[in-house]
Amino acid sequence: MPELSDLNELFGRLADGDRRAFTPVFQLLWPPTLRLCRRMMPVEADASDAAQAALLRILERASEYDRHRPALPWALGIASWECRTLRKRNERLHETSESTPESDDGASAEAQEQHDLIAAAIEAMGTLAPIDRETLLSTYWETASTASGATLRKRRARALTRLRNAFRRLYGLD
Amino acid sequence: MDSINLSHLQRRARLRYERARWVRGALAFTPALVVVGVAAVLSKRPSSALVLGALMFATGVTLLWRGQAVGRAVLPGFLAGLIPLSLALWANLTHGCTGDHCSSLCLPACAVGGVAAGLAVSTVALRLRQGWRFWLGAAAISMLTAAMGCACVGYTGVLGLGAGFSVGFAPQALRRVFASTS
Repeated sequence: MPELSDLNELFGRLADGDRRAFTPVFQLLWPPTLRLCRRMMPVEADASDAAQAALLRILERASEYDRHRPALPWALGIASWECRTLRKRNERLHETSESTPESDDGASAEAQEQHDLIAAAIEAMGTLAPIDRETLLSTYWETASTASGATLRKRRARALTRLRNAFRRLYGLD
Repeated sequence: MDSINLSHLQRRARLRYERARWVRGALAFTPALVVVGVAAVLSKRPSSALVLGALMFATGVTLLWRGQAVGRAVLPGFLAGLIPLSLALWANLTHGCTGDHCSSLCLPACAVGGVAAGLAVSTVALRLRQGWRFWLGAAAISMLTAAMGCACVGYTGVLGLGAGFSVGFAPQALRRVFASTS
């Protein structure tokens, strides 16, 4: 099994065209490249994609390696550049998908978000007193309530404030 | 991470590596095409010069792609081949006359240039302590480079080049063979 300390020599041989050095270089480079990409990319799947793309790029440029320089920093420099490029591309894609909600992915994400919000609201409603729940439901469905006029408005205001507080307490946001 | 097929990734990486070496070899040897162009313009047989030039370019790119000793042999071989090529192209522009009889200087130029190229290749190979792959690679590129000009009198010129090259090449090659066996 090759050691990381052999990498300079192996990379030098690979740059010169010695194909026997290819597999050891590949085996030695994969773990540190993956580790670096995991640190740089927030999503595991993206990190894996970036590490693969980075390794392809490193080995594509193996013939450019200058044997007077240490191989690992040179290789990881290429890998970090590749990760940065992929991250920026993903961010741009994300921005594009946010600006076009008509797309299928965007619509399904929005529906999921709506579903989560309703579930959260119902959860928060469950923590309210029965009188507050009744007031909010009758307001929502526009049905008759036990109170009317100023009393109903005050009850509704209090119930909404309690619902907002419960929501904030449960989810940390409004 | 178990989902990553590393052997598939390695195959893809190997393909990229090889492709990059081909491109790099072709780009590095592109200046040789200028010599091919000059040889085609100045040669009496441009089509032969172009065919041999294409062969020389393809061989050079292949050797650079392979790398190691044969890759390192390309530049010295090419430079050595320029000696007989220059002489042959010069011979195309002039001729030797004795009394009322004139003859082409192509064949002698190729033979003399071949000796010089053979000596140059073998000296470099010996100095750099290179193996037989280097000797073969440099000799092939050198001969093909020179052959673009030495086709001026047909195959005879190329044969003259080969004979001259062998004369220049053989002593050092034998010296190396005997040195390695003793």
